[in-house]
Amino acid sequence: MYCVKCGVRLQEGAQSCPLCQTPVWNPGETTAEPAYPDHYPRAHRESALSGAVALTVICLTAIVVVLTVCFKLYGALRWGGYVLSGILLFYVVVALPLWFRQPRGEVFVPVDHAAAALFVLYICLKTGGHWFLSFAFPVILASCLLSTALICLLKYVRGGRVFILGGFLLLLGGFTVLVEFFEHISFGAEMFRWSLYSLSGFGTAGLFLLIAGMIPPLRQVLRKRFFF
Amino acid sequence: MQKKWYRLDTAALIFPAIARRDWCNVFRVSASLSEEVDPALLQRAADELRRRFPSYFVTLRKGFFWYYLEESERPVQVQSDYAYPLTYMSSRELRRNCLRILYYKNRIAVEFFHALTDGRGGSVFLANLVARYLELKYGLAIPREGLIRDLSREPESEELEDSFLKNAAEVAAGRKEEPSYRLHGTREANGFRTLTTGVVDTQALLDTAHRYGVTVTALLAAVMAESIIAMQNAERPRRRQRPVKITIPVDLRRLYNSRTLRNFSLVINVGVDPRYGDYRFEELCRSIYHQLCLGATPQNMAGMIAANVQPQQIIALRLAPVFLKNLVMDGVYRRSGESGGSLNISNITNLPLPEVMRPYVQRMEFIIGPQRSYPNNCSVLSYGGKTYINMIRSIRESELERRFFSRLVELGIAVEIESNRR
Repeated sequence: MYCVKCGVRLQEGAQSCPLCQTPVWNPGETTAEPAYPDHYPRAHRESALSGAVALTVICLTAIVVVLTVCFKLYGALRWGGYVLSGILLFYVVVALPLWFRQPRGEVFVPVDHAAAALFVLYICLKTGGHWFLSFAFPVILASCLLSTALICLLKYVRGGRVFILGGFLLLLGGFTVLVEFFEHISFGAEMFRWSLYSLSGFGTAGLFLLIAGMIPPLRQVLRKRFFF
Repeated sequence: MQKKWYRLDTAALIFPAIARRDWCNVFRVSASLSEEVDPALLQRAADELRRRFPSYFVTLRKGFFWYYLEESERPVQVQSDYAYPLTYMSSRELRRNCLRILYYKNRIAVEFFHALTDGRGGSVFLANLVARYLELKYGLAIPREGLIRDLSREPESEELEDSFLKNAAEVAAGRKEEPSYRLHGTREANGFRTLTTGVVDTQALLDTAHRYGVTVTALLAAVMAESIIAMQNAERPRRRQRPVKITIPVDLRRLYNSRTLRNFSLVINVGVDPRYGDYRFEELCRSIYHQLCLGATPQNMAGMIAANVQPQQIIALRLAPVFLKNLVMDGVYRRSGESGGSLNISNITNLPLPEVMRPYVQRMEFIIGPQRSYPNNCSVLSYGGKTYINMIRSIRESELERRFFSRLVELGIAVEIESNRR
């Protein structure tokens, strides 16, 4: 019995060609004896899960220790709040992705930024500061948008990596100016003390990549020199 | 009693470092017998191999500076085979045993973690396992010659040596290579591996190879390269293409007259750059054949061995803790380990079993798993006048297999296809 499309000989009783899936007409023939049993291995997740479980236990232990020490010594949370929120932030960033088989960057980066924003909000409220909405929140939001956009573009857009990285570096330069701007309106710091240096650095690198992207021979040389 | 332990050989050092949660480097050798396998006898045969092959009955342990292999306390339990070959060997399993002995109907299969040995060492172990099993079942008197060893004796020191250390050149060869075209597709769920076996007549394959003036390995690599070039052509314009290279493992035992049963093979990448123009099949065959001849020389291989051996001799690196070494080796592997080839064709050629065993062994196969970053791999073994070309993949698409086997048919080689796909 042969596949009419590929020309290969098939096992007796085969229902279709394993190469091109062309159905096979084999009246009266019994199904081929399977080469492998219908016995699947158990899904192996212990190595990743053991890391997640270990980190969970460590974090829970640290939380219990901090709560015990604070309430035993002061009868109140006091500095323990900073430590607890820090532990929670660490847990969200490091341990949470370990529970997932394939943690997605485009999901976890916004989640990590949200956790960082909550952490900073706690510190702001606790210290009686008024800089969260005018400084921390917009900076974290911009960082979140920038990094998530980079991850999505690298993941879902095939090719054009030089342009993506070039554009990202330009925006990163702009981001540093934005950070200094929010620093200026929140804390009254002088404008353009340092951000112009980073803008010029990132901007030059970004423009270079954009131009390199448009010149194939240069792109080729860069690819050869910096492949990984 | 003190447990025996072994350092990992030079090639094996990389395998624990690059293992992932869902992937580690495993290969399989199997033999199909004339009758259904008796698991109790197989277990007995396996237990009796322990004395002669102590470096295979081991567990993977982590020291402060290096991984090492330690004699296993537990016997290797023979077990029923799975729905697909080379299921994931987890770190927990490696801490118990680094090989599996499997049976299904009339087939005996052994799956090895690659840190133990390579295809040649694995096939020696399988041949001895099958020989002992046949002795127990049928009372055969199998001569201790060729692949078959005397199980009552301890292993010879040469069989346990790290032959890389003895054969390294003084100067290391460079590792740098332009990355090759990367095959890709839709990943199978739950790590399923689809195996497509092409059974061809060995003489027909040899005749075709000789018609083009090349070896069987070069012929298969040329057919594979042609298939991959066609796939790349359908996918992107020529100026955006990448070289198409096939990774060919070279058994160094023949080159250096080594008798080691541990890893002693290295890979060379052969292929063409389609950006420079179209290649006729004859040109592909010749180019790949000559690249293989030029690459697989003792001198060239000694330089490549030195590239692996020399970093181990740097005191600062030796003193680095194992987790740091893992990071470094992982980085090196990512940069130069797999990027140089589109897939492997591992050919362990013919397995000459003793005459008395042949009526009882219908077929033998060799299967390597997909690499970490590329989804297809190919392995070849000849036995009893047939050559078994096993193509494994971790993706759904069968385009490469279709092109490869169809091309063999076009070349006048009759191919019979089997698959574990349901």
